[in-house]
Amino acid sequence: MNQPNLVELNNITKKFPGVTANDQVNFSVRPGEIHVLLGENGSGKSTLMSVLCGLYSPDAGDIIIRGTKMQFRSPRQAINAGIGMVHQHFKLIESFSVAENVILGDQSIPQVLKMHQIKNYLTKLSQRFGLQINPSAMVWQLSVGEKQRVEIVKMLYRGSQVLILDEPTAVLTPQETGELFRTLREMTATGRGIVVITHKMHEVMEIADRVTVLRRGRSVATLEKQQINQQDLAWLMVGQDILRQEKKKIPPGDKHVLELKNVHCLNDQGLPGLTDISFTVHSGEIFGIAGIAGSGQRELAEVIARLRPVSSGDVLINNQAITGCSPRQAIDHGVAMVPEDRLGTGLVPNMDAMDNLILKSYRNKSLRRGPFLNRTLTREKVNQLVSRFEIRLNAPDAPVKLLSGGNLQRLLLAREITSDPQLLIAVYPVRGLDIKATEAVHNLLLEQRSKGLAVLLISEDLEEIFKLSDRVGVLCDGRITGIRPADATGVEEIGLLMMDAQNQGETTI
Amino acid sequence: MKLKALLAMAAVLLAAFLATGCGGEKAKETANNQTNGEKLKVGFVYIGPVNDAGWTQAHDEARQYLMAQLPYVDASDYVENVPENPTDAERVITQLVEQGNKIIFTTSFGYMDPTIKVAKKYPDVTFLHCSGYQTAPNVGAYFGRMYQVRYLSGLVAGKATKSNLIGYVAAMPIPEVIRGINAFTLGVQKVNPEAKVKVVWTNTWVDPAIEKDAAKALLDEGADVIAQHQDSASPQQAAEEAGKLGIGYNSDMGKIAPKATMTSPVWNWGPYYVDTVKAIKEGTWKSTPTAGSLTYWGGIKEGIVGLAPYRPMVPEDVKQLVEKEQQRIVSGEWDVFNGPIKDQSGAIKVTAGQSLSDDEKLNMNWFVQGVIGSPK
Amino acid sequence: MIKLPGTNLLIEKKLSPDPAAFFVVPVISILLALLVGAFSLALSGRDYQQIYATMFSGAFGSTYGLSETIVKTIPLTITSLGIALAFRMQLWNIGGEGQIYMGAFAATWAALFFPVGTGWWTMPCMILLGMLAGGLWALLTAIPRAIWGVNEIITTLMMNYVAIFWVNYLVYGPWKDPQGYNFPLTATFPPEAILPTLGVSRIHFGLFLGLLLTVLMYAVVQHTRWGYEIKVTGESVSAARYAGINSKRNILLVMFFSGAICGLTGMTEVSGIAYRLQPGLSTGYGFTAIIIAWLARLNPFAIVLVSFLFGGLQVGGYIVQTSGIPSSMVTMLQGLLLFFVLGGELLTYYKISKAPASSGQDT
Repeated sequence: MNQPNLVELNNITKKFPGVTANDQVNFSVRPGEIHVLLGENGSGKSTLMSVLCGLYSPDAGDIIIRGTKMQFRSPRQAINAGIGMVHQHFKLIESFSVAENVILGDQSIPQVLKMHQIKNYLTKLSQRFGLQINPSAMVWQLSVGEKQRVEIVKMLYRGSQVLILDEPTAVLTPQETGELFRTLREMTATGRGIVVITHKMHEVMEIADRVTVLRRGRSVATLEKQQINQQDLAWLMVGQDILRQEKKKIPPGDKHVLELKNVHCLNDQGLPGLTDISFTVHSGEIFGIAGIAGSGQRELAEVIARLRPVSSGDVLINNQAITGCSPRQAIDHGVAMVPEDRLGTGLVPNMDAMDNLILKSYRNKSLRRGPFLNRTLTREKVNQLVSRFEIRLNAPDAPVKLLSGGNLQRLLLAREITSDPQLLIAVYPVRGLDIKATEAVHNLLLEQRSKGLAVLLISEDLEEIFKLSDRVGVLCDGRITGIRPADATGVEEIGLLMMDAQNQGETTI
Repeated sequence: MKLKALLAMAAVLLAAFLATGCGGEKAKETANNQTNGEKLKVGFVYIGPVNDAGWTQAHDEARQYLMAQLPYVDASDYVENVPENPTDAERVITQLVEQGNKIIFTTSFGYMDPTIKVAKKYPDVTFLHCSGYQTAPNVGAYFGRMYQVRYLSGLVAGKATKSNLIGYVAAMPIPEVIRGINAFTLGVQKVNPEAKVKVVWTNTWVDPAIEKDAAKALLDEGADVIAQHQDSASPQQAAEEAGKLGIGYNSDMGKIAPKATMTSPVWNWGPYYVDTVKAIKEGTWKSTPTAGSLTYWGGIKEGIVGLAPYRPMVPEDVKQLVEKEQQRIVSGEWDVFNGPIKDQSGAIKVTAGQSLSDDEKLNMNWFVQGVIGSPK
Repeated sequence: MIKLPGTNLLIEKKLSPDPAAFFVVPVISILLALLVGAFSLALSGRDYQQIYATMFSGAFGSTYGLSETIVKTIPLTITSLGIALAFRMQLWNIGGEGQIYMGAFAATWAALFFPVGTGWWTMPCMILLGMLAGGLWALLTAIPRAIWGVNEIITTLMMNYVAIFWVNYLVYGPWKDPQGYNFPLTATFPPEAILPTLGVSRIHFGLFLGLLLTVLMYAVVQHTRWGYEIKVTGESVSAARYAGINSKRNILLVMFFSGAICGLTGMTEVSGIAYRLQPGLSTGYGFTAIIIAWLARLNPFAIVLVSFLFGGLQVGGYIVQTSGIPSSMVTMLQGLLLFFVLGGELLTYYKISKAPASSGQDT
């Protein structure tokens, strides 16, 4: 603790049109610590780190690196000063090899590349920190977790003393997350400082040496490890206690709302995307689908919404086959869906809230006036929805792309829920949402469940699955590796099922 | 900031614009002085730019000649690059009338309909349309017997070819062009019955790149003389680059491709314009067709068409032959399309002792024997 | 955000443009273009003030000029409306020119070669067949686009040439006027096939058709369910699919109507202006319409306005030639205007502001 801080940010202020993203924020990184930067979406975490790694120049405030005041005019200067950032969206060139990506932008290497030496060096470097990578592999062949490792190695190769990771676990499986945390620990042992940006509470508890909480661009507290407890952090983050609503224990109904019978389909590459999927979702039930990202979740949702053709098998809604239906007929059968891609598929970015809210109901008789849309009636309906679902619109006719993530999701859910569906498919419904918005979405889903709606919840967050689901189905490599009642299973078992095919190739239950 | 700044910027610009504008007053006065209201105003509508070294330039030189010859004429109003579509041409012609022009020359075939339409609205203005076939009491149709000169240039080409293949880069398959190709071929075959004339259509009057490509294609096929019915000199340049010979058109293209172009059939509208304007002013002019559908169809005799000066590669005996043939035409004893003439299939089209009427010449849509290509 | 070097001014992108900027920016752009034009005119020793005045009054200042500007506005408006309809669904119909020619071809057939001759039915048939031909011509590119996703930019562009050559073939060949001295023209239309004009001017009935179409287009696009579908599909294909909108059907329909409207331009041009079919009928209306539709942001009423200004620009351009300005200089002026207006478009989305003093000292 006597060594100078690796990084000190003093009174950083950064303004964007209309918002002050950082307002006199202080932040520091000590050698050998993992410093978690916690905050809701839009609280200014990413901006602060972008200032630190030279992407933005602050409107006011000082950046002090190892006791020297610095001004970064470009990310390169920050890298030279030993600051490295692993962005949420990786900055890798897919068609290059790992080694080529790592040395990209490195001006110290000679014109004639000695790839052999570089690869050896990278192998050593990655082994030292328990980061398994193959320097010769092509990036497009890598999984998300591997890509992240490449990004980290890239920063280590460039001599980063301070490593910033922006939501590193968002794309990882629980196992991969564990590995990452071990790697981070090993890096701090060499005196490096790590900054982890997150909004996941349990991660804070697991790895943080110190926590800085940001709220609305201001730093509200910096706590040492021994001071941290979940309740306080949550309060600091949102400024209010989270209402933990217990799942209502009304048992699900026995009506088969959704039934899949031996469904097979192809993915976008023309390879088997789903293999022999069979399960049933009942009225008043939330059926959670767990699985590593890319195990067939998207295909599953699309097959049910009739956005993807089935190669064999049947999809039934209320015992009626909809396998050959168009997306529109599926909607008419009562299939509602909150898609993974909210802004672009679920909502039309450049249209206003009103036009977005009628996206599925615009052909209803009630909104018609001859060939015309009944705009007056539509506006009324929209106003009702906006107040009922507490959607905050800056201006009624502003394009929805200007709305925050939470508002977008409320808008989307409002539309899907009010369409009186039989089945609601919710794909990653809280991804990227802050705690408050997450809570609101969860409450809405539970409320619909209690009203008898069948919900298919596809999520990457086991915490969420366990919190909401009545039963959990696990997808692995396009197959269902197990279906368990949520009360009678645990994270351990589900985690194992998620890895199923990779380990034993156990048969379906 | 935003809006106010923009408005402020607009104001500054406007002020700057007005301030610099004051200097222009004098120029305007002198410009006005030049246009004298007492003079007889004559306007011109051109298809191309006045410096195209071709069709339009020939008309524009005649316009300047007209001004120089008749001091009472003000022919300073002309509009160039007027496309041959109905919307624009009619408006441009009307504008010239509205600007006080009493005689208007419309110098491309595509202006025929617009000229007739405008003429109906302005019976006291006289219109002269070049190369068309419609006339009205106040609309005359005029043209020149370019085919006579084409024939003479064909004599030169026929004597010059060694491969016995002559390339002809031609614009559009309309009678004017077909007539020229036929006359040229008759000239070629007169001195060299073995020689053939190969035609490539470009479907454009002026497009240097396309014209050059067409000429190159003909050269590749073995042509060693390139003739043309195009407004740019690029076919001649192609011939020069290939070390071959050529026959230009419109103006003396030997200036542009001196190593290739032996001579060029050229237009000389000046004397006709002077005569016509004089006649209209004196009230002796009539639009009645005299040659086929045309009010006026002058030839070598009238001086409206002719050959540009020969380049040194043309031998003396050829010049004498051309001179002899030209005498025959000027004297009226013979006029190119005198029988016997066979068409491409070898069938007799004009029997010996007969000749084509002006109407038949103006309607021509068939090729004579010796032409390779289709008149379509 | 970019800092202008040597100043403390910042260029920032705006999330949504200022509504006022839509009007102010083009006006400034035009002024700038005129200013630059004035400098080059002055450099070549010409009186730009008089030239500008002539240009303006020639296009808008007299009854005749104004009427001619409107004549030019008609085909531009109708074509731009057709193009804008397709653009709204992000169908890039670059084939307006060809569709104009096909419309002109079918209208000519109805006027000159209709099996039962001419009569009261001639005009309605010309309109219907002209639109049908333009629409079917566009449909030829829409079908491969809908089924196999074949890029319509390339196909529509290529189909232009096919249509133009088809019309050329007809006027140089089978449809050549027998009385026309073998010139590439069809015979003149009978009186039944000629659109009525307004008084002595050349403003023809097409103006009414154009305005009617403008209102119709606004109503359809803004207020019908189909218009809503077009808008959604144009903004996001995946959202349209998700909402159960049949994109394939809409691709076919939209392209058909887009082509049909362009076909109507061909009809009004032969029937209102040329009175016969001939080569060079359209001076690139199909292409100019792309710029107009874009500048007007696909808004039907704005299209009328922008078309009118474009028409004026072209009409004014010929008028100044008689004041001794070579046409190349006029073309340069027109180019400047377009360059500045299109360039200014970009600025609508940016604002310039003063940088805060503190960061000004930093750098």
